[in-house]
Amino acid sequence: MISISKLLCGLSAAGDGLRYDDPSDVEQIREEKQRRPVVVWNVTRACNLRCEHCYAGAEPGAADGELSTAEGRQLLEDLADYGVPVVLFSGGEPLARGDLPGLVGHAADQGLRPVLSTNGTLLTPERARRLRDAGLAYAGVSVDGLRATNDRFRGREGAFDAALEGIEAALDAGLKTGLRYTVTEHTVDDMEGVVDLLRDVGVDRFCFYHLDYGGRAASEADLAPEGRRAAVRRLCDLTREYHADGEEIETLLVGNYADAAFLVEYAREHVGEAAAREVYARLLRNGGDPTGERVADVDYQGNVHLSQFWQGYALGNVRDRPFGAIWEGDSNPLLARLRERDQHLTGRCADCRYRSVCRGGSPLRSLATDGDPFAPDPQCYLTAEERAGEPPIGGGEPAD
Amino acid sequence: MTESTERSRVAGGPRAADGREWEVFVRPATGEPARHAGSLTAPSAELAHEQAATLFGDAAGIWLCPASETVRFESQALGERAGEP
Repeated sequence: MISISKLLCGLSAAGDGLRYDDPSDVEQIREEKQRRPVVVWNVTRACNLRCEHCYAGAEPGAADGELSTAEGRQLLEDLADYGVPVVLFSGGEPLARGDLPGLVGHAADQGLRPVLSTNGTLLTPERARRLRDAGLAYAGVSVDGLRATNDRFRGREGAFDAALEGIEAALDAGLKTGLRYTVTEHTVDDMEGVVDLLRDVGVDRFCFYHLDYGGRAASEADLAPEGRRAAVRRLCDLTREYHADGEEIETLLVGNYADAAFLVEYAREHVGEAAAREVYARLLRNGGDPTGERVADVDYQGNVHLSQFWQGYALGNVRDRPFGAIWEGDSNPLLARLRERDQHLTGRCADCRYRSVCRGGSPLRSLATDGDPFAPDPQCYLTAEERAGEPPIGGGEPAD
Repeated sequence: MTESTERSRVAGGPRAADGREWEVFVRPATGEPARHAGSLTAPSAELAHEQAATLFGDAAGIWLCPASETVRFESQALGERAGEP
């Protein structure tokens, strides 16, 4: 994740410690946990919607082989033992599992920070209160456009209104709540309206997701580079405009580390050279694309994936051995190469001045389009001029 | 006689929602043993090999074993530790 509001407007948030080793002035996720991945746990494949871009290929009804409640509790204990800082309960639709509040509570009891990714449509006031009481730290609700766009994208009329009711229930329960939005050809025209929705519904966090090519998400639905660049630029502009008006919204970019380079260029153009160098230094500490390093995924059958989007390949399965033993598997040649990917990047990435803050972007998109996870990310929208030359500050290697 | 480690049989059941799951074994060079390198989802052995080749292209050998045909005995199986049969 890349925080526009932090890097361009100085807004502090609880995730800064994970993203930038930055203690900030907001209570932070504990420092000693920063070197372990955030774990997405797809607790179920069942979902009441059928979204065009679902990386999990979710369908109505539970699928065979879901981790049981007892297995899930043991998994959470394993994650805590390994030092995982955050567990993101996802799906399918995680609220389709009746034992979700109990699992959230067990995560909190183990010292994990439990957060939720939901379509919001099943988030009733009673469920929101139960999740709050269980210790849920954050609820991210997916809204992929305004009413007509969102409902078409999600495959059900009324999904937009139901999501807004879910957000209202979460806010009424006192849960920190944010909007998640995925940009595609079909949703891009609504982006500004969704950002404005923050003010209408009373939330202050907006996560802008780029499309990764897993599950039902295909490259054909993706934006062209020029459109992507324009959308990211507009979000940067909007963030600064909101902050100038005294509304401290938190805006985050997820899933395309060309954005890191773009933010440096944007800061240089709009804020100044010194600010651009500071943005670059923070992004070096952020470490670029997190696949196989700072993010991991456990699916509903216990398979451990390199990211939540890369469901077609698993490092191992938590039913066989604990998560930490799988994640530390240094004999896996793919994992080893991903963790030293700076040495394996090819094409225009190999000599890009921003390779240390991007690290080649998404290996899954590269694999899907080029058959090589170390080929350039097809979503990169930097110009040849921006890629050329020396890194903005000396060395250009990650801080650690 | 070697001291024996306590192991339990890992519960069976599907490991892929769509298609088949294949356990992947990679031999880095001809003279080396093959190592387990995860699993992948594919409808056939040929397509599984195609996918594995994009991930482990420089391997001397790639073996693929249907995950559903693999019987696992582990010392730290999740179900056992979670108190499930």
